[in-house]
Amino acid sequence: MRVLIVEDEALIADGVRQGLVKAAFAADVVSSADAARAALQAENFDLAVVDIGLPREDGLQLLRSLRLRRHALPVLMLTARDGLNDRVTALDLGADDYLTKPFHIAELVARCRALIRRANSRSSSTLEFGALKLEIARKQACAFELPLDLTLREWSILECLVLNAGRIVGKSRLMSAVSDWSDELSPNAIEVYVSRLRAKLGDAACIRTVRGLGYRIDAPGK
Amino acid sequence: MRPANDPKNKPPSIRRRLFALLLIPTAAIAGAATYGAYRTALAPFEAAYDKALLDAALAIASNIEARDASGPTLSLTPDAVSVLRSDSLDTIYYRVSGDDGHFIAGDRDLPVPHQGVENPEFDDLTFGREPIRVVSYRVSSAHGGSIVTVAETRHKRDHARASVLRSSLAVDAAQLATALIVIWLGVEFAIEPLRNVERQLSARGSRDLEPLTTDGVPVEIRSLIDALNRLFGALQEAEIAERSFLDNAAHQLRTPLAGMLAHLELMAAGGAAIDGAQAQAALEGARRLARTAHQLLALARSDAASRSESLQEEISLPEVIKVCVEARLASADACGIDLGADFESAVTRGSAWMLEEALGNLTDNAIAATATGGSVTLRCGMTGGCAWFEVGDTGVGIPAAERAQVFERFYRASNARAAGSGLGLAIVREVARLHRAALTVEDGVDGRGTRVRMTFPEPAT
Repeated sequence: MRVLIVEDEALIADGVRQGLVKAAFAADVVSSADAARAALQAENFDLAVVDIGLPREDGLQLLRSLRLRRHALPVLMLTARDGLNDRVTALDLGADDYLTKPFHIAELVARCRALIRRANSRSSSTLEFGALKLEIARKQACAFELPLDLTLREWSILECLVLNAGRIVGKSRLMSAVSDWSDELSPNAIEVYVSRLRAKLGDAACIRTVRGLGYRIDAPGK
Repeated sequence: MRPANDPKNKPPSIRRRLFALLLIPTAAIAGAATYGAYRTALAPFEAAYDKALLDAALAIASNIEARDASGPTLSLTPDAVSVLRSDSLDTIYYRVSGDDGHFIAGDRDLPVPHQGVENPEFDDLTFGREPIRVVSYRVSSAHGGSIVTVAETRHKRDHARASVLRSSLAVDAAQLATALIVIWLGVEFAIEPLRNVERQLSARGSRDLEPLTTDGVPVEIRSLIDALNRLFGALQEAEIAERSFLDNAAHQLRTPLAGMLAHLELMAAGGAAIDGAQAQAALEGARRLARTAHQLLALARSDAASRSESLQEEISLPEVIKVCVEARLASADACGIDLGADFESAVTRGSAWMLEEALGNLTDNAIAATATGGSVTLRCGMTGGCAWFEVGDTGVGIPAAERAQVFERFYRASNARAAGSGLGLAIVREVARLHRAALTVEDGVDGRGTRVRMTFPEPAT
């Protein structure tokens, strides 16, 4: 997976690059909007990390010009300003995520992963999460390359959690992912499905309960 | 024209107001008094002149003779007539007529007053364009009655009238003038204490916020001085607070910076081999610095927001709780603390980022105060129409005596476990103030730990 970093502060650009490389991404750094457009034209990237505070043409303008050309590349915006307006503007212009400086590298890497995964789920037929591989068309999940025997409802819950990996997914959301029109599920039923799913996943992934809020899937060892 | 010269833009003046206030009633009273005095003083003059006029009529009447049926005649010598008509100022007229009105003697054209029941009859008429005072006296005899009319011009009456008017007007004008001079000087005298205050104020420097003295200050401006002193007090307090805030902020920023620099310098000097413990310490310092900078900015921002933002977004508190929990699961996990939520739907109006900031700070504090194996729970709900949220922990708790102080900037509880900036709860207090929300600190559920609750006011309908 290849990430384009658009950041004029060398210290931050280098830190981000090293962090991403360490997390097995390929990363390139450019320091202006023009250079970013040139790089995107020349090569394929899976994601761009764009600082809002670029010299001359700022990150928001770059984002606008990309979206005007129907460039669907996922974009994560970075900013040192904490005005709420920047965040709203960025998301309105089509940014996929937003981080305020200073941030933890681990957080940035996790968000990059999630963005790429989400983008892939739209275009490809498989979802990967740690040792898990989900084949969407066949509704078949594998752990450590071995197929898992999941019911349709367990599959739906796993798909919903993996699509939102790293985030809390509320019970009500899981309920609507699982139920079809014919039947209503109780929140307790979700608990039952989740505990069955946990048993079947074993060490491949960890579904943790966030008390009062829902569930979150984490890669093992985290 | 400069605005200062524009009569419409004249600044208000106490003196002018007093003048306007006093001049109208004073002048009205003086006018009424003058008129009364004038009328009173004039009556005897008029009576005396009328008496003299009647005397002349009676003198003429005594010279009317009615000897036969041809009617009464007047027997008056020319000397007597000239005596009768002699007057230094006025012209005297007379006319004698029969009781059927026919002319007998004197001035033929002299008008005769309407004969009513009175005898003599006085009247004010005009004769040859001149106002005259007229008296008629009816005489009756066996050979038919007659009417004696005597008139005089009004010159001496007018003289008397004018002199009476002059003297009473002079007295009143003097009174009025005295009153106005007293007001003019009195205002000057009365506002002298204000001038004193002004002198005191202009003599001091911009940093001098000592209270003004109230010695010898008249009661009327005492409240003004008190209000000024209250303002000075508040400014002084704000200045002290600002200074201590700066001191504290400097300390909070410099301490982690110094630690980071020390460790980084050691690492730089050590060359290629990087000491993991030193890197960890430098990282810790940087995180603390980042957090403090963030909190200082949040405080400054809420200060600015209090002047510009309307705080009218509709906010679902469970959403705020979800954002807070999500962002802190990792740090709670690292501390071995069970972070969770327990909420009912609750909606209030306010600023989303501020409420996230406040709840986040409460949550961070709760996590820091709780030992491994403990739990931190974020709750929200509605009670009696008021939305609230709270953070409960199973930590060390806050001593009851310190609960009021914990919301002060840079205050750190005596039994605080972890290093903190002391800004978190000050931000919470600021956010509560801006949202007119009440903050309460109570023992946690089962008497363990602490519960901090923010209760929002009932929405205005």
